Amino acid sequence: METTVTDLFERAASGEEVRVDYTAIERTLADMWRADGVDEQHTVTRAALWNVVAHTLTPQHHAYASETLSKAAAAVPQRTIIVRADPDAEAELSSWISANCHIGGDGKRVCSEEIAIVAGGTRVTRVPPLVNALLIPDMPVALWWVGDLPHENAEYVHTLLDPADRLIVDSVHFNDPADLAIVKRVADDTGTAPADLNWIRLEEWRTATASVFDPPEMRDKLRTLKRVQIAANVQDETYFGERIESLFFASWLMAQSDAEIDVTFDLRRSDRRGLIRVELELADSKATIERDHDRCVLSTNIDGRISVPDAVTRSQLKNIDELIVRVLKQPGSDRLLPKILPVTLQLAQQMK
Amino acid sequence: MSLVAPTVEPNPLREGLEQERVPDASCLVIFGASGDLTHRKLLPALYSLAHDGLLPAGQTIIGFARPDYSDEAFRMDIREACNKYARTRPVDDAVWENFAKGLFYVQGDFSQPDAYIKLNRKLKECDETRGTGGRRIYYLAVPPQFFPKISELLGAEGMVTDPERGGPYTRVIIEKPFGRDLQTARELNRVAVTTFRERQVFRIDHYLGKETVQNLLVLRFANGIFEPFWNRQYIDHVQLTVAESIGVEKRGGYFDSAGITRDIIQNHMLQLLSLVAMEPPVAFDADAVRDEKVKVLRALREFPRGREEEMAVRGQYGEGSVGGEAAPAYRQEDSVKPDSRTETFAALKVFVDNWRWADVPFYIRAGKRLPKRVTDISIHFRPAPYPLFKKLPGVQTQPNVLAIRIQPDEGIALKFDSKIPGPTVRTAPVTMEFRYATSFGAEPPEAYERLLLETMLGDSTLFARRDEVETAWAWLDPLLRVWESDARPPKPYPAGSWGPQEADTLIERDHRKWRRP
Repeated sequence: METTVTDLFERAASGEEVRVDYTAIERTLADMWRADGVDEQHTVTRAALWNVVAHTLTPQHHAYASETLSKAAAAVPQRTIIVRADPDAEAELSSWISANCHIGGDGKRVCSEEIAIVAGGTRVTRVPPLVNALLIPDMPVALWWVGDLPHENAEYVHTLLDPADRLIVDSVHFNDPADLAIVKRVADDTGTAPADLNWIRLEEWRTATASVFDPPEMRDKLRTLKRVQIAANVQDETYFGERIESLFFASWLMAQSDAEIDVTFDLRRSDRRGLIRVELELADSKATIERDHDRCVLSTNIDGRISVPDAVTRSQLKNIDELIVRVLKQPGSDRLLPKILPVTLQLAQQMK
Repeated sequence: MSLVAPTVEPNPLREGLEQERVPDASCLVIFGASGDLTHRKLLPALYSLAHDGLLPAGQTIIGFARPDYSDEAFRMDIREACNKYARTRPVDDAVWENFAKGLFYVQGDFSQPDAYIKLNRKLKECDETRGTGGRRIYYLAVPPQFFPKISELLGAEGMVTDPERGGPYTRVIIEKPFGRDLQTARELNRVAVTTFRERQVFRIDHYLGKETVQNLLVLRFANGIFEPFWNRQYIDHVQLTVAESIGVEKRGGYFDSAGITRDIIQNHMLQLLSLVAMEPPVAFDADAVRDEKVKVLRALREFPRGREEEMAVRGQYGEGSVGGEAAPAYRQEDSVKPDSRTETFAALKVFVDNWRWADVPFYIRAGKRLPKRVTDISIHFRPAPYPLFKKLPGVQTQPNVLAIRIQPDEGIALKFDSKIPGPTVRTAPVTMEFRYATSFGAEPPEAYERLLLETMLGDSTLFARRDEVETAWAWLDPLLRVWESDARPPKPYPAGSWGPQEADTLIERDHRKWRRP
């Protein structure tokens, strides 16, 4: 028996997806972990702080979600459940398990499990209850919706959202303001808090901009903000999702400054996506925040009558797994995103 | 940690960011900037704060010491130190470039008034060029005997201001030892308040900057399940261990005049004990937390006069081996007197005479050249009230233990008995374990990072208050006097052991044993 459990563990820990009957997922996982402590080589620490469910449609998205979450699991241990559900595919329901292992800060091998569920055709409806049964009790649940949000199958989405504390989306993939409206509805009508990776990407820009107004003598100047110029690189300026980052930034400034602001956008085509420069025009001075791609920093400086030394903010959030880790490490739900979403939607309509 | 009333409206753009409050830019002057502490701890900690975006734009750091350095030479020296010791090493060029712009050096003898004129000129220049607005933090990384002179000359040069008197803030950070007994501690505190007000004085005990020490408060007061059991009804005894595997290294001269009780127990261990034993504070702010800690110190039972040995054991290491390496005897260490009677180990049995802890012993021990470096607190619960399984063969129930590991492998473990699977009832102790490194992954900030940031924010929750320091000395002084007047040497123990036999006897007399941490 021992040979079996250690073999099972070794296969799963080496990244191999071990096919299991979907009715026996928990039992097989338990078997796999029985290998723990059989000998020194198989001693691992198991940990989980979150249940993370990734919902995908295509095999490419499935592979991408698996790779991303296995990296994220090294920073935030989690039970990962990756669902690939395609109602248009052939009817099937199958599952695999594997283990995400890494060497922890204390030099020990830390492992968490990954479950993959593939459903097609009418069997897709069986996914939400199956996922529900696989969630670790008393642990928060994050549902990462990979790709565009669906406008149909509301009941299916609602059942998946039901146990979720957070809904993670990346609005860079949204092709229409209606997608953003769905996120707003989730925030308004459900107990699930939305988290948008496109909004998280702005964190360093928000930090750099906030630093302009940190000095006590600058604090009151925020209310005098009159005009904002936002320059951003986009891969396709006609695609709505590419504009959302700039819209979020403008909405955030509007919501937090309580000022009437004239905003202009300058979208430039480039492979290096993201904001590149922001100019804030205040009553008696001008502040600029600029990305230095080569040095991976955002530099801030203020001209005009007030002299404050330049500041730099490290610009480091690049990969999706890092953004997801940031979401999972936030102790509570994001208070600001629901506040700025209506402003963003309004701006999006004006920009159309 | 606590919410200090902000002087200006909060920055609304900080809402929702990891750091919702950023300190106002100030000039931080490090007295003794050429020393080890500055290179190993202070500047690497400040650099890591800058790296994580936690320092305000314009934050300025001025090294002040006797050796002759240029700003540029000082920066190069510090960059090297950051590359070696900073948590966020290696140094990031862009962050460094900006950090170094605010790093200066002023050469001067801090016992000479002229040096302060020069320093003050530099500070005023920084106010003009870096927007530091007259805000000052003086970090005295120097032996305490220099404190009175520095304090006097800062006052004489008008370099200390206070918002309550209409000026920007001045804060002073002082390092332990805060005196070597009650009298010298009082004198130090008296000198401090001639120039500074108590709330301007930040007495640093780096243990309080450790995440796991701060987590003691969270464990106790953010969880509903522990507090109901946290008293004499359920707790049999508490053990605290601070073990070091190293000897006195280069600190032989200082340590030989202090001993482990002054070096570790009077500050770090009594801080830990206070956090374990304190009552819930009425608020999570500096005074409320420290009020409760000082009540614990006031409740410590005096050592019985003439019978101190029943409650306290002191030891000194002889030759031995630690971690497979031969270790010399204490008296053979550099700068240690060959006939030294200084204790390198102490074990105490302590009582907190109050309603919650009446008759619950706290066994505390600290030592050098012990088998490993570990700081550990263990709460030993009383056994189940009725031994239901005692007549069954193969059943040996053991009391529950909640073990809090402060360093290394920071974490918390709860030991309890469980049935061994099988047809008969047999039990074995098992452990439920939480490890910081496993659950939270990333390396926590260094204690000095947290403490320096708290000083800039003006929050003194994690710093020792005057009455805490004096009450701790008042309790320990009689024991130290007895030991100093005792011509007998401390009890010997071989380097690499857990201390002298008498330390085991101290606890075994009560039918208990030291937990192996």
